[in-house]
Amino acid sequence: MAGQASSAADVQPSQRWIPWMLMVPGIVWLTVFFAIPMFSMGKLSLENGGFSNYRNAFSDYRELIPRTFGYALAATVICILLGYPLAYVIAMRGGRRKNLLLALVVLPFFTTYLIRAISWRILLGDRGPVTRVLHSLHIIGQNTSIVGTAPAVIGALSYNFLPFMVLPIYVSLEKIDRKLLEVGPDLYASGWRTFRKVTLPLSLPGLFAGSLLTFIPASGDFINVEFVGSDAQRMIGNVVANNFVKEQFRPGLSALSFVLMAIILLGVLLYARLLGTEELV
Amino acid sequence: MARHLSRRDLIVRGGALGVTGLSLPALLAACGGSETASTTTGPGTSVTTASDGSITVFNWPLYIENDDASTSPTLKAFTAATGTKVDYRPEVDGNDTFTAKYEPFLSKGEGIGGDIVVLTSYMAARYIAQGYVQAFDPTNFPNRANLIDSRTNPSWDPGNKFSVPYAIGQVGIAYFPDKVGGTITSLSDILDPKLKNRVSILDSLGDTVGSFMVDLGFNPEEGNIDEAKQAIAAIKKARDAGQFRKIVGNSYTDDLQTGEVWAALAWSGDIASLKNDVPDIEFVLPAKGALSFTDNMMIPVGAKNKAGAEGFMNFLYDPKNSGPLFEAISYVSPVKGASAFMTDAGKDNIFINPPVGAKLYEFPPVSAAAYEELSALFLEATQL
Repeated sequence: MAGQASSAADVQPSQRWIPWMLMVPGIVWLTVFFAIPMFSMGKLSLENGGFSNYRNAFSDYRELIPRTFGYALAATVICILLGYPLAYVIAMRGGRRKNLLLALVVLPFFTTYLIRAISWRILLGDRGPVTRVLHSLHIIGQNTSIVGTAPAVIGALSYNFLPFMVLPIYVSLEKIDRKLLEVGPDLYASGWRTFRKVTLPLSLPGLFAGSLLTFIPASGDFINVEFVGSDAQRMIGNVVANNFVKEQFRPGLSALSFVLMAIILLGVLLYARLLGTEELV
Repeated sequence: MARHLSRRDLIVRGGALGVTGLSLPALLAACGGSETASTTTGPGTSVTTASDGSITVFNWPLYIENDDASTSPTLKAFTAATGTKVDYRPEVDGNDTFTAKYEPFLSKGEGIGGDIVVLTSYMAARYIAQGYVQAFDPTNFPNRANLIDSRTNPSWDPGNKFSVPYAIGQVGIAYFPDKVGGTITSLSDILDPKLKNRVSILDSLGDTVGSFMVDLGFNPEEGNIDEAKQAIAAIKKARDAGQFRKIVGNSYTDDLQTGEVWAALAWSGDIASLKNDVPDIEFVLPAKGALSFTDNMMIPVGAKNKAGAEGFMNFLYDPKNSGPLFEAISYVSPVKGASAFMTDAGKDNIFINPPVGAKLYEFPPVSAAAYEELSALFLEATQL
């Protein structure tokens, strides 16, 4: 009808604003909770010494920075090694039980993070069941403990972030058109070759997302070291968390936090380039 | 002794504290000390008499019977005798953390919602110098005369006008003889590489730096800053070598409880109570000398029931009240004649009555500037 057409034409200019209006809450959120805090932390990181705070962050934490990222990277790799096959089996072979299996992956995470970390401490502690069994089987020496070692921290990190790896990989595997997989054998490709040439590339977005969801929080984690680590395993998160209260360290620790962020960003960009997933994500 | 403390509770509680404890002050600080976060009931230092008949006491953990204010015979007896209720909060976790949290309010003369705070001497000295605390009214506190001589008239509070000790203890070494393979007599013994990653030290500057100073052959009471720096360097060296499993405050007992730490710089009373759960733990005062600490009661500015607080101190300074309390908590009572009200076991307990002739030093109050410098160095060496 004519009336409708004319009214649509009238509305058009204001409609152009609708997407922007819809973005307002997000923009306000990001401004208040991201941009402003980042700006004030940036300012703080330049107090008492300016850019030397950044130089000092690298020299003072010569061991801390590589250790933090080493642990985060190790946990990410372990999560991939454990999570990919798990996601694959659920997506490809789960059948009717898919939802149940996914629920089982997530179920332990209904318990709070803190309680799970404490539970690991109780399980792995020197007087805990795991250590006692390993002691009595003479797999580890009587005076060797599990808690307070790098493997314990990496293990706890891997445990805590495993679902964040499994779920995105599952989603991208689940999305794959099964007909593409049937083509592989038709063209005389082995199962492995089909996986390598078809399944794996198509699941890269999930792998990429899972790796980010694991690596980034693992890099900033401090709870796991607090409970299953010791002073020798401390990560950037521990140093910042324990000392940010103390005023004199705030500029240096702000600088350290930016260094942490910069390294994560660089790592992510590098990883994206390596996987060639820029256009996929 | 009737101490019973579930250490597992402490692990959980300690963990939760660790998380909330660091976020709250950080948030407060980040907001630039917002007034709304203050628990103060109003400014002013007016002396009001028991308006609502209660006092709030900020004290250290394990400083009351069974670490449980609700069943403490001392608090019950006090309330029965005076009608004043005690809101007892064992939330002083460290001199520095407590001060970092409340100094923004104290420095403005605002109350912190407490009538008594208990802090170690070097920090108490700072509170007095900064005017964060109020002088006692002697008429409300006649039992102050029962203070033992060695703690009367400290240089930083002549006449004990602002502070009296709550408890006295020593910093010694707690260890498991079977695990370390023998007896330990000095701090150097626990720096042996064979104990790598099995030792914990305290995150408290005076106690840890002082103990290392004694081990290096210095007298910490002289307050020589260069000697303190040497001690800090020694701590850093050992930490870089991976000697320390933990450098923490009150939570160090968790790792002794689980047996993961084999030797720890420890506060005497903690080990006395831990011994009930972990009988194979030993406690020794280093032969070269041990640090002794005194935690002092003071009335902060803005206290709403100053007279009630003085009444509480007066009650604690009666030897017949002090004896049983200190036998229960296993610290040294600062009250003359308190041991007359203890059992024979209590009288012989080295935690309560340290061996005669033990060399004990107290970390001295140093100037604010020197303390800040040492504190920064110590934190750098132990926490960063």
